Amino acid sequence: MNITAIIIAALVVGGTGIFLGFFLGIFGEKFKVEVDEREEAILGVLPGNNCGGCGYAGCSGLAAAIVKGEAPVNQCPVGGDPVAAQIGDIMGVSAEGGVKMVAFVKCAGDCEKAEQDYEYTGVEDCAAMAFIPGGGPKSCSYGCLGYGSCVKACPFDAVHIINGIAVVDKDACKACGKCVAACPKNLIELVPCDAKNKVQCSSRDKGKDVMAACSVGCIGCKLCEKNCPEGAVTVTDNIAHIDYEKCTGCGTCAEKCPKKIISRAG
Amino acid sequence: MKELILTAIGAAIVNNVVLSQFLGICPFLGVSKKVDTAAGMGGAVIFVTTLAAFVTGIIYKFVLFPADIPYLKTIVFIVVIAALVQFVEMFLKKFMHSLYESLGVYLPLITTNCAVLGVALNSVTYGYDILTTTVYGFSTAVGFFIAIVIMAGLREKIEYNDVPKTFQGSAIVLVTAGLMSIAFFGFSGVI
Amino acid sequence: MAEVGIELDKNSSLGKVCTERLHNGIIKENPTFILMLGMCPTLAVTTSAMNGVGMGLSTTIVLVMSNLMISLLRKIIPDGVRMPAFIVVVASFVTIIEFLMKGFTPDLYASLGLYIPLIVVNCIILGRAESYASKNPVVPSIFDGIGMGLGFTCGLTLIGIFREILGAGQIFGVQVLPLADAAAGKAGYTPITIFVLAPGAFFVLAMLVAVMNILRDRAEKKGRPLPPAQGCLGGDCSTCGSSGLCSGHLHSSEKNKSE
Repeated sequence: MNITAIIIAALVVGGTGIFLGFFLGIFGEKFKVEVDEREEAILGVLPGNNCGGCGYAGCSGLAAAIVKGEAPVNQCPVGGDPVAAQIGDIMGVSAEGGVKMVAFVKCAGDCEKAEQDYEYTGVEDCAAMAFIPGGGPKSCSYGCLGYGSCVKACPFDAVHIINGIAVVDKDACKACGKCVAACPKNLIELVPCDAKNKVQCSSRDKGKDVMAACSVGCIGCKLCEKNCPEGAVTVTDNIAHIDYEKCTGCGTCAEKCPKKIISRAG
Repeated sequence: MKELILTAIGAAIVNNVVLSQFLGICPFLGVSKKVDTAAGMGGAVIFVTTLAAFVTGIIYKFVLFPADIPYLKTIVFIVVIAALVQFVEMFLKKFMHSLYESLGVYLPLITTNCAVLGVALNSVTYGYDILTTTVYGFSTAVGFFIAIVIMAGLREKIEYNDVPKTFQGSAIVLVTAGLMSIAFFGFSGVI
Repeated sequence: MAEVGIELDKNSSLGKVCTERLHNGIIKENPTFILMLGMCPTLAVTTSAMNGVGMGLSTTIVLVMSNLMISLLRKIIPDGVRMPAFIVVVASFVTIIEFLMKGFTPDLYASLGLYIPLIVVNCIILGRAESYASKNPVVPSIFDGIGMGLGFTCGLTLIGIFREILGAGQIFGVQVLPLADAAAGKAGYTPITIFVLAPGAFFVLAMLVAVMNILRDRAEKKGRPLPPAQGCLGGDCSTCGSSGLCSGHLHSSEKNKSE
């Protein structure tokens, strides 16, 4: 039995272990990154989805920004008021209430109402439609294609394709804005949750072309604009748009609209 | 020089670490869903493997071999690799925060990656000197990077395909890996 | 990773616990078929049934010894150095096994080659150490190791037999499918060589996963779902049996991205 070999082996392994232990211990202390405990607390309160709706890189990015004072405490759209209040407690400031927003798809041209130029079979991705002749099978070049790029983008399963167009579930939507960015036709807009009147069309075509492509599209007749008591509705480029700062929800525009494209219910 | 280049090409492509040697299958299948994460993982593997190959080469040459205890290489290598990865993580977190954000999450996963330990052990088996070991480590990791990025690209496209329900998930990925492996067989006559 | 601790109360005898551990490892949570752990050696060494058996048994021995050791030391090892301590214990036993194999089974040692030292980073061993041996007494840990190891061996052997039959017409080196010989005009089996090469491993494993998916669906429909797959074939890192190793970083960041 070669005792020397055993001793050398034990020394080398033991020595390596001890050396590495010291090494890591020392450098662990020297390279310690100071973390503000408030940041940890805020991170714990935030929903943790890393959806990016706040405009920062994930929840940890927002926590860091709030602690540095760059972001207000009510920046998280997903958490909403309750989370803002908790963050306010941690930071020692009061949180102002915010308006709850939801996403809204500005297209009503589903399978029954909208015309198709041709039948399409192939990759089902709205962004890929840019490579397809005519920008997609739908006659209306501004309409929702219904292939679900927004559905894939939504982290909360709040968007679904119903009858060929995207529809947002208001209760599930957290207004993080991912669907807005995902839609290649920019059809989705964030509107106040309690908005009673919404224009469900984005077509800039003239009235005749719109009617050929879809049975309910906005024809730009301007009846809504003329009749709105608050001046909240404006028609530009043959499409009506409601300014929710001015809208009182009286519903006059919806009544006057000949195509009934402005929704009534909230 | 010529041997170095041959070693490099052999390690990266001909005997690709994932597709021929089956080392590093775990992250290859797990982290290859999107091209960015795959590229991040590949980058981290390149970083760690090159460093680990260098350090283990030195340790073997100056500690294990002279002390006549080459049989302890498994234990010493794995402990050194684990410590090295922890150190690199600390270092990046403190000094290169942006790099830490992109690569840092993958670093601890690489500790038990068969590929890193495999590189270290192979270098000893083949009797490479320190420079060749480092080049071998680097090119093996580049081979891993190539494989994982190609796989991620393919997987992103497979998402749109009509995969039969039984094969959805890991099964179709493995079939893809098998086809990639056959493709890489074509390189076997290169050197 | 679910807690798998078992308390020895008055009702469960030691014998029952141990039999349960054996049944769990070989059938209920078989590492190859159900848990899908340890895929690296599964792909690499199943070129023949003999290699599969050899690798499986070596892994079993290492698993049993390391479970034993870690269970003995579980109260002593501090929590912070848990992982490095486990790794050192496993690495030591692997070195011992490597020596024994080199001396007593040189053919097996030569054919398994690099994959013997790579038993150290086998997800099964570290996963079981982390999830079972570090929390349970010695004798159940030993039987857990035996159970998981034998389950792994069965898995490897079955896959090895499959690949060997298709790829060479042999089982354990015995030519069961007589080879065709075009020159002598003899009809027989032309081996599909790709099955004993690298791509074949991927294809066989893909088939295995597909078959397991069918069985899982059926079991779920009957209302008795199989235990979920762990490790990287579970789909993402959230099912990783060794998520402790990456300190859960990868797991939590992937989880956040998918929520």
